[in-house]
Amino acid sequence: MTTSTVKQEQKSGPGVLNFIVGLAIVVALAFLARWFKDQVYGIKDLGGLGIPGKVLEFPIWAALVGLVANYILKAVKFFEYPKPGFRTELFLKIGLVLLGAGISFKVIVTAATGAIIQGVIMVAAVYFFSWWLGGKFGLPDTLRAVMSTAVSICGVSAAIAAAGSVLAKKEEITYVTALVIVTALPLMVIAPLIAGALNMPEPVAGAWFGGNVDTTAAVVGAGTIYGETAQQIASIVKQTQNVLIGVVAFLLALYFTTVVEGKKEKPNAAIIWQRFPKFVLGFLLASLIFTLGWIDKDVAGKAIGGMKDWAFCLAFVCMGLELEISGFKKMGWSPVIVYLIVTIFNTLLALGVSWLIFGWLFPASI
Amino acid sequence: MNIKINEDWLATIIAFVLLILAMVNVISPEWMKF
Repeated sequence: MTTSTVKQEQKSGPGVLNFIVGLAIVVALAFLARWFKDQVYGIKDLGGLGIPGKVLEFPIWAALVGLVANYILKAVKFFEYPKPGFRTELFLKIGLVLLGAGISFKVIVTAATGAIIQGVIMVAAVYFFSWWLGGKFGLPDTLRAVMSTAVSICGVSAAIAAAGSVLAKKEEITYVTALVIVTALPLMVIAPLIAGALNMPEPVAGAWFGGNVDTTAAVVGAGTIYGETAQQIASIVKQTQNVLIGVVAFLLALYFTTVVEGKKEKPNAAIIWQRFPKFVLGFLLASLIFTLGWIDKDVAGKAIGGMKDWAFCLAFVCMGLELEISGFKKMGWSPVIVYLIVTIFNTLLALGVSWLIFGWLFPASI
Repeated sequence: MNIKINEDWLATIIAFVLLILAMVNVISPEWMKF
């Protein structure tokens, strides 16, 4: 083997085998999560605490199993090799398109109307509050932009889109991504508990999770824990919010090139389409197929529903596997404090706005 | 030629392949029971 061949192989990065090994680990862990769920699901009183076993839905088990595997794989130094198979976003998007095949188009239109209003209010209010607070704590503009977009829209993918627009440093993206996942995982479990304690109707709870929890995976997880309708509304609200990624990425690029860098040329509006989450089109098309009655609810519908749950389970396992907290040490505690204050602001505002819109203005009738 | 496929489209294609297989009853609900 010549030196150039070796260099070429090193450049080519992870191969198919890495992906297959990673995927096999994720699938095995998903089966384990389902096994745990099955063991406790029928228990009426867990450990005499008055908690029914069905509260512990599969997203919790999947994330927990993923977290434990994350720790073990890193301890035995076998994390990097299968990492290409840990694909939270891919599994999540497959699950979301399949979810569309069980929701009537009318429901999407009704919920999306409220979701657009909620999305615009939430994204604008949370973005500017986070930007302002970050300024008060002396955070760099690039970090403020990435963090504000992540917390106001949808976590990881929004952070990456914003980072591209403002040319943020790699460690800023890693840092915000870690913050998003560390906050989203507990919120995925706590938010449904609070919603239950407040006796929130499922559409309102779903809208709250969609507007408040930072990553789409955790939004779907919280909705799944709370109920089927909550899962549907949470997914619609979150996807509506995700659609705004492109618009925010364009406005950020415009602000940073013209105001911060003082350049005359303007960024291309094509970024709006580039950043548009295309799987949302798949979700809408799947819903249209369902609405036209082409899916037999008793046979195909059940198979699709099962595949959707498997895809989500794989995504939640990956969420636990991909948690990375080593980036925290580099940047100190100021960004963490800003992020936590903004998350509390986001949670309370989303609670009020979702009650107003989904409980009063557009009570989604499912 | 180096063709790069966006993750969004890849997810959509995989989901639709699964959807169509379920619609023509190639994938049974029993296999997918969660």
